[in-house]
Amino acid sequence: MARLLEHQGKALFRRMGIPVPAGRVVQNADEAIGIGDELGFPVVVKAQVHAGGRGKAGAILFAEDRDSLARAVDELLAKRINGALVNELLIEKKADVEAELYVAVTADPSTRQPVAIFSLRGGVNIEETAEAEASAVYTMPIDILRGFFYYDALNLLRRGWPLDSRRMFATANIYTNLYRVYREYDCKLAEINPLALTADGAVAVDARVDVDDDALARQTALDIEVAEEAGERAATALEITAGTIDKNDHRGSVHFVQIDPDASYARGEGKVPVGFDCVGAGTSLTTMDELIPLGYYPINFCDSSGNPVGSKLYRITKVIMSQPQIEGYVFVSCVSSQQLDNTARGIIKAFKELYPASGGQPNIPCVLVFRGAWDDVAIDLFKQHGISDGRWTRVLGRDTAEIEAAEIFDALYKEWKSETGGFE
Amino acid sequence: MSVLEFEVRSGGTIRIDLDKCRACETKACVKICNSTGMGQILELKDGVPALKPTLEEVKRGACTEDLACELDCELYGKKAIVITLPLPKLDEYLEDLTATPTYLREA
Repeated sequence: MARLLEHQGKALFRRMGIPVPAGRVVQNADEAIGIGDELGFPVVVKAQVHAGGRGKAGAILFAEDRDSLARAVDELLAKRINGALVNELLIEKKADVEAELYVAVTADPSTRQPVAIFSLRGGVNIEETAEAEASAVYTMPIDILRGFFYYDALNLLRRGWPLDSRRMFATANIYTNLYRVYREYDCKLAEINPLALTADGAVAVDARVDVDDDALARQTALDIEVAEEAGERAATALEITAGTIDKNDHRGSVHFVQIDPDASYARGEGKVPVGFDCVGAGTSLTTMDELIPLGYYPINFCDSSGNPVGSKLYRITKVIMSQPQIEGYVFVSCVSSQQLDNTARGIIKAFKELYPASGGQPNIPCVLVFRGAWDDVAIDLFKQHGISDGRWTRVLGRDTAEIEAAEIFDALYKEWKSETGGFE
Repeated sequence: MSVLEFEVRSGGTIRIDLDKCRACETKACVKICNSTGMGQILELKDGVPALKPTLEEVKRGACTEDLACELDCELYGKKAIVITLPLPKLDEYLEDLTATPTYLREA
């Protein structure tokens, strides 16, 4: 999922005729004061980060004059919001809000079609509202071939609230334009929360636009850096790096997510952070399930499957090994038709480049399990290149179950730690 | 110096030093490309590796980037092949990284 920043989402809204407050992106207090003077006070100052729940996280401040604006800008630029550094701020004219609505179009996996969602309880966490009071959230499935028309929006809005006609028409107009954003930009979610009702009409005070990352090849105008979906936080530099691997080459795929980017969770739980790669997401999960009780925590998820070319394995192995916190590496393939000798070659080339002095033998415990097509060739390649002879490397075959791979890694790690003392 | 150089689909180049290939007895790259590679793009011409498809076809994906030619040349040939597969964002990441990557540390 590629999530746009608020100001990027609002740019799309503006293009589609959805009213948004006047505003500008700034990077320092001087720029902000210039914009404040231009817009007129009071203004709202909003940190431009991907994290959700910005209001609760203190990422949105109000300023009544130049001094309070400068203070707000300095405060936010010095902040981390849910771990994300704040580099940009959106300064907007503060709207005189009379009521807040929630309007969105998203994909409903259960019906495999878009769904329009509307609630009177805008401005708050819609998931909580839906859970606490399901009757406060109204939905309408959308036939993607038929589309979503103005009168559909009116029908949905009528279920929720006896809006006065002027506001009802304005909101319905915005809703149909929001559906255009959703369709034209291949979104998974196009959301306005809140849609503010003011004396002048309705205005999108916030914007959340999540573009389906499988559609980014044709959404080039959005200039989005591709990365795997990582929840509410922004993609990390390594995830963005990994995202470029599949960009121009669809022969197999690598899906890389940093579960614990700085290994703080692993360390906090007293577990050893390890780098991790699997062929097949199911194998990935079962191998994690075996590693974690033994005291190891894969700080990344990676699924290199669909028969990726060797160059993809080379690149993703370098990415995985570039996580500075890891004290081990585990690779496990499921029993599949993937040509594992190509997979092996990619890993071998990466190891040789990363460990030139030892001829590709890693300095940390590594367990690699090859099971499936050409697994014997894969194992033999590690022997031919002398990597299997490495003190801290075990290359195993199809008679190895996930639990055995984890146990072998555990024993190897303990030997490594005992003999070398590990990393300081 | 005589060189065969071509671009591959994922963004990168394969460079073969043909002067070294002339002294190579195994021609391991051609053998492995035709035995394991789905692309089978290399052939022997005048005693050195040459491309069967055009440069454009190779760049569009005729080369399946299994890396076998480089690795087998390293083991059984004259170390004549260098495959360069850039990952610019990783270079940027490593430049900005304050911690030392594991592979550069000593246990």
